[in-house]
Amino acid sequence: MLAPLHRWVWSCDERRVQKLLHFGETETDGGRDILRAAEMTSDPLLRRLYLKHAIDEHRHGDMFRRRGADLFRTLTPGLKPAFQVEWLAPGGHGADDLEVQDESDNDLLAFLHLSEKAAASRFSVYRDVLQRDEPTCAVFDEILHDEVFHMNYTLTQLTRVAPEQHRRHLWRARLSRLGKGYLRVATALAGVLGTLLLTIQYFVFVPPFALLAKRAQRREHVGWHPVSPDRNGSLDKQY
Amino acid sequence: MRILGLSAHYHDSAAALIIDGVPVCAVQEERLSRRKNDPSFPLAAIEWCLHHADVEPEDLDAVVFYERPMLKFDRILTCSLRTFPHSWRAFPKAMRNSLGEKMWVRGIISSHLGIPGRKILFAEHHQSHAAAAFFTAPTDHAAILTVDGVGEWTTLCVGVGERFRNDTARINLQREIRFPHSLGMLYSTFTAYLGFPVNEGEYKVMGLAGYGRPTMMDRVRKLIQRTPDGAFTLDLDYFSFHTTAESSYSPRFLELFGPARSPYEPIDLETSDGLRFADCAASVQRVLEDTLVEMTQSLHRETGLPDLCLGGGVALNGLANARILAESGFERVFVPPAPGDAGCALGAALYADRIHFGNPDGEVPDHPFWGPSVNGGDLARIAGEDGQQFSECDDQALIGQTADDLAAGLIVGWMDGPLEFGPRALGHRSILAAPHNVGMRDRLNREIKYREEFRPFAPVVPIEVADRYFELPPGGARLARFMSGVFRVRPEWRPRLEAITHIDGTTRLQALERSMAPRLYDLVEDYGRRSGMPVLLNTSFNLAGEPIVNRAVEGYSTFLRSGIDVLVAGNTRVMKRESQVAHRKEAVA
Repeated sequence: MLAPLHRWVWSCDERRVQKLLHFGETETDGGRDILRAAEMTSDPLLRRLYLKHAIDEHRHGDMFRRRGADLFRTLTPGLKPAFQVEWLAPGGHGADDLEVQDESDNDLLAFLHLSEKAAASRFSVYRDVLQRDEPTCAVFDEILHDEVFHMNYTLTQLTRVAPEQHRRHLWRARLSRLGKGYLRVATALAGVLGTLLLTIQYFVFVPPFALLAKRAQRREHVGWHPVSPDRNGSLDKQY
Repeated sequence: MRILGLSAHYHDSAAALIIDGVPVCAVQEERLSRRKNDPSFPLAAIEWCLHHADVEPEDLDAVVFYERPMLKFDRILTCSLRTFPHSWRAFPKAMRNSLGEKMWVRGIISSHLGIPGRKILFAEHHQSHAAAAFFTAPTDHAAILTVDGVGEWTTLCVGVGERFRNDTARINLQREIRFPHSLGMLYSTFTAYLGFPVNEGEYKVMGLAGYGRPTMMDRVRKLIQRTPDGAFTLDLDYFSFHTTAESSYSPRFLELFGPARSPYEPIDLETSDGLRFADCAASVQRVLEDTLVEMTQSLHRETGLPDLCLGGGVALNGLANARILAESGFERVFVPPAPGDAGCALGAALYADRIHFGNPDGEVPDHPFWGPSVNGGDLARIAGEDGQQFSECDDQALIGQTADDLAAGLIVGWMDGPLEFGPRALGHRSILAAPHNVGMRDRLNREIKYREEFRPFAPVVPIEVADRYFELPPGGARLARFMSGVFRVRPEWRPRLEAITHIDGTTRLQALERSMAPRLYDLVEDYGRRSGMPVLLNTSFNLAGEPIVNRAVEGYSTFLRSGIDVLVAGNTRVMKRESQVAHRKEAVA
């Protein structure tokens, strides 16, 4: 349904470069988290699978970066996309906040399964809308192949480590993703409002103080400043 | 007295604990969280330190933060006002950033540790640097120079440190240069211009400098001018780091030096652009060195002292340190193993102990190994679970076997004892290899470190024979103790030390004393008996973009993901499958 929108997002060369480079970072970050999971788990089989998964994610990061860099070389220098729209076309684990050390294997597997599933579904849409750009399409194709494996092994292992409760863990992970999604939107909204208010304050309240600060700066001499002896003393102050 | 020092919120946060004046442990948060240069509040590092020393938070007499948050906020706010209206984009971000967490350090520490606010103290950023440099150095009376990007307001500071016979000590910081005039920011601006990440890629600029000629020094000197009193100012028309967080340099900078390098383009030294970037790196490196040498010469004339303690992130510049030693007039230059912001955690704790509380100035052990210890048994267990070949043997057999491996051209991941504090791998979390041919350097770059070809590798050599292979000036061995100086490889040995000899004939060596890392020392000696040259390539045990490994399992996962052939942790040795290693040996042969 959103294919026309994604087609528009990916149609701009500059935006495509930015997105691929951004995906590269996201996949590498995701790989780092999964590597951490491999180093934290006490289950030898999971350790091996997580490690393979982490290596895949790092490779995906490299593939995205390489393709982004190749496309970047074809662009006119200095051009930048007018509108980034990261939230319209998120990458692998980019939309998920993962604190690996706080998660049990069960929760982590459920979380990874849903993440991989979501990423696979997004990447298949991107692949479809990028049919005219064969090299980029091939990158998504190869990564999708791995994502399917990741999706499957996480579910199989979840069923193994929590045979009775794997459905409950999946539902909990879904709710957690929903909660995190809400928090992300709320934080982003608060960020926008905060920036707006601070920008208004900047132009309304700051000018007279700016004038004073600039005047004071003109009187300030350049070069060495002596350190006053009282600064070598008490550590109680924060200023 | 139990004092916990903390650094956080900018980059590379850390915790350090001293008990009765002696450091007990210190660790960077990144080594525990596995996020490189982790700037977050160092909760894991604090927990580890307290657990390691068996101290409860309420037993702490003081917690010292490494800078004064309100003073820092004062600088951020003032700079926003001074650059009005150009700072309109940076202002909301800076305010949200500061008001969100960074200003409420007392409350954050108090709530995390459950201790009263009166126990929380604040050292100034450069006081922390100065204390980390002076109190860890084996000297009684020394000049102090601290140089970094910026602390609260200070970017460079000079003073004198003194130990008295009655076991008291004093640090007297005398004068400073203030933001935005900063040698660290000058260097970081070129780091950004050359397409490397700021606060991380400065090593790359130094490595790249070796490939260039300082043909642009006149242009760099337009950016930084000396003042009549011996300090310097930056011409702010060329910079934008003081008005925005997005960029460090202004359009005028680009007019002067040409288009910046894209981080996604490799540096090709065969092209004119590649050479321009190398010349640019060489020029800013030379100007930085000249400025520091002139300032330290003046400091030496002024104090008449034989010793200099260097601190701050700029003290990681080994080329500059070596020139300071050679040209400033100081006989000995001391750089701590962690001169950057992480080391401020230890510095702040030492400053509070010696200066604020006036406790006796005890000796600080002269080594960098303050972190968690590696457990060889963990490696044996994991390797066994994965069906890997492993063996456990005594020190002598293990060292002999590892020397054989190295002599056969294998690459060894070496984990031994407590983790280093600071950015250098000094023999407890190292990747070791034979240093003799350029093929080894290329293999390390290609299969393990995944980094640019122009970045050099460092050697480790027993201190007694260091001078045979490297041109060490008087005092050079001390600077080489923690890999803080860059020195020339003797020309006659360069053909046999290709993997660690940089394009300009230099190397950042570690001159190793047996007492500091006895097992590594014995290994290097043993290797020397096999190869005729007791020198090993020693690079940090990590892959690109990752922090140095800490636990055995992290070494093991790095071993599996890279071209490392053999992993040693404690007395456990794991080897990649025979077929892979045999293939490697054939390739080496």
